[in-house]
Amino acid sequence: MKKVFLIVMVLITGFVLASCGGEDTGDKIVIDFWHMSPVGSPSFSGMKAIVNDFNESQDEYFVRGTGFSFWDYWDKINVAIASRTAPDIGLSTIDDVEARAQSGALYNISELIAADTSDAPLELDEFRQSQKDFATFEGDLYAMPFSATTRVLYYNLDMFTEEGLTEADVPTTWDELKTIAKQFDIVEGGQLSRLGFDPTYGNATYHGWLWQNNLDFFDENKLPTLNTQAHVDVLKWIMNFNNDFTRNQLTTFGEGNQLLGINPFASERVAMIVEVDGLYQIIKDAGATFNYGVAPIPIPEGGTRVNWGSGFSLEMYDNGKNETAERDGAFLFYKYLLSKDIQIRLAEVNGWIMSHISAMEDYVEGNAILEKLLAEVNYAVDKVYIPYAPSWHGNDWQPYYNEALSGTMTAEEALAAARANYLQKKQNYDAVNS
Amino acid sequence: MTKTISIQKLKKRENLMGYLFASPWLLGLIVLGMFPIIASFYISFTNYDMISDPKFIGFRNYEILFTNDGLFWQSLGNTVYHVVIAIPLGIIVGVSLALLLNNKIKGMSIYRTLFYLPNVVSIVAMALLWLWLFQPNFGIINDILDPIYKLFKMEPLRWHQAVETSKITLIIMGLWSAGGSMVIYLAQMQDIPNSLYESAEIDGANWIKKTIYITLPLMTPSIFFNFIMGLIGGFQVFTIAYIMTSGGPSRSTYYYAYYMFDKMIADQAMGMASAMAWILLVIVLIMTMVALRLNKYVVYLGEEA
Repeated sequence: MKKVFLIVMVLITGFVLASCGGEDTGDKIVIDFWHMSPVGSPSFSGMKAIVNDFNESQDEYFVRGTGFSFWDYWDKINVAIASRTAPDIGLSTIDDVEARAQSGALYNISELIAADTSDAPLELDEFRQSQKDFATFEGDLYAMPFSATTRVLYYNLDMFTEEGLTEADVPTTWDELKTIAKQFDIVEGGQLSRLGFDPTYGNATYHGWLWQNNLDFFDENKLPTLNTQAHVDVLKWIMNFNNDFTRNQLTTFGEGNQLLGINPFASERVAMIVEVDGLYQIIKDAGATFNYGVAPIPIPEGGTRVNWGSGFSLEMYDNGKNETAERDGAFLFYKYLLSKDIQIRLAEVNGWIMSHISAMEDYVEGNAILEKLLAEVNYAVDKVYIPYAPSWHGNDWQPYYNEALSGTMTAEEALAAARANYLQKKQNYDAVNS
Repeated sequence: MTKTISIQKLKKRENLMGYLFASPWLLGLIVLGMFPIIASFYISFTNYDMISDPKFIGFRNYEILFTNDGLFWQSLGNTVYHVVIAIPLGIIVGVSLALLLNNKIKGMSIYRTLFYLPNVVSIVAMALLWLWLFQPNFGIINDILDPIYKLFKMEPLRWHQAVETSKITLIIMGLWSAGGSMVIYLAQMQDIPNSLYESAEIDGANWIKKTIYITLPLMTPSIFFNFIMGLIGGFQVFTIAYIMTSGGPSRSTYYYAYYMFDKMIADQAMGMASAMAWILLVIVLIMTMVALRLNKYVVYLGEEA
């Protein structure tokens, strides 16, 4: 009995150890690539096929793709970069490439391009200069734009038709936006059941509205502004947009949206919303049957047509181990991922708008909504990287924004408090970085 | 003589075996526990963004936190408030539950299991559940309280969404898991010799007197244990605020550990976050030492023979 038990244990151990072996890469040099299509996600098989196709074309290199969900990805990549165990290639946010480039975590892409003697070089002209600028540090590229996010106004065409409006009536200015939005508001039994528009819903941000007014959070020296009357006016416009309803009505309506767990535009509770291009995919996946369209976000009088971009960057990580063979192989795969055909496939797989210009022009052709989304990418701008407050638009600003929106602070108080917080952060940052 | 040596040898061998068996755990403690602790102590004296190498800056992080960081004091204040209210409340509820469940009625083990059950639930799941229970407009708690609101002609409470009630809401929620400490109270309660109650009964003591003069004094060691554990845990409060309130409204539930997390993740200031961790350790250490000093005055450890 003892013997049988021992044999079984040895066999089990053997199987377990054998199964740890992973893919057979032969003598090939392994390139690690981290993406956001984990096992079980709808984009997994598509992403795997893209990696496999590259591997089949290769005798020298083998790409090992690892997918993490969007929410897990950031912690993983940051820890990996910090511990010098980053993958050879990975995605990140394009607006803070500068920080990673400065610390030496990234390969200089410009140098790799210059040293590339192959007959298939990286098509630099196919990527927007505005995006490449964000990937540039001290004159050299340290990353490439991978995807191109944009924000637009989505409008429910069925609701427009009900109100006797057509696409020609889609608002283009702030004044029109307010006038038209008010036509869609519905109050039933003292509670809101539909809202035309709210400047805080979806992916509309205070900095986005500021940009349209030719204003910003920070000046060219990266010092917080926020203390002008114009900043106050924009915040007040946001706060007062729906002030014909009580705070309780608006809160209850907002909580109702949360309860549904679906975007309020997709659930037809708002007639118009500012959202990212990804909402197109969400509506498609949800099987929504209503007619809708997209348009540029309305701008104020004398304002600028601009929207917040926030795309992904494709980066090659230098773990300081002098891995030239891995670097060269990674650059091959890097060019492959940024090539026209693969960028189209990536768009199909992930539902993202990719950064390759002509690839996307081909991809969106014949799809009215995608065409308009792509057109807005040309007006997309990324947020600036502030070393002393990397999360300036999130953690640092949101508490004050919420105070203003909930009425616990006036617009002036919220902006002054936020500005004081940025200044203190800067002071403290300078004190440890001098 | 030879016998003594062999016993010593045996003892040595036994010690060695002991260490050998404990070695996986010891190794884990040193590699996964001690190293990060020592590293974080060093990092707290550096400026470290988690990408480039840490730069030594002496006590600068500590100096900034104490002298030029409003959020440090605000978050510490929020945490102290939480600890001061949550620990006594937790003890009261835990002891009360234990008193109620220290009965010999039918199905008692089922009740005990039911009250302990919340401790098995993941804190994230628990927070999400309570988020909906406390929801001011659609939540069941306000639904139940509706007649009371009407009686007193008051606005329904906005629980975790209002500055005035947010902290207390999270504390009330935390009481749901008081069953954990209850088990410890119950174990000690059942250790109390029956003879004490019997003699008290002969003297004519009722249930209240027996509880005050016998049960509670004899339970002080476990109350003290739960007090210390609550103190340590209370200063680390994070998850419920992270999930339910995001530190709001108006940063009223922005606890110390939450600020420390933001310092690390959002501000990429690992040095500063490590300094915060060590300050917290010192605070908890001092509080615990003070509590241990009080030990001999409040804890009944049996009569000296």
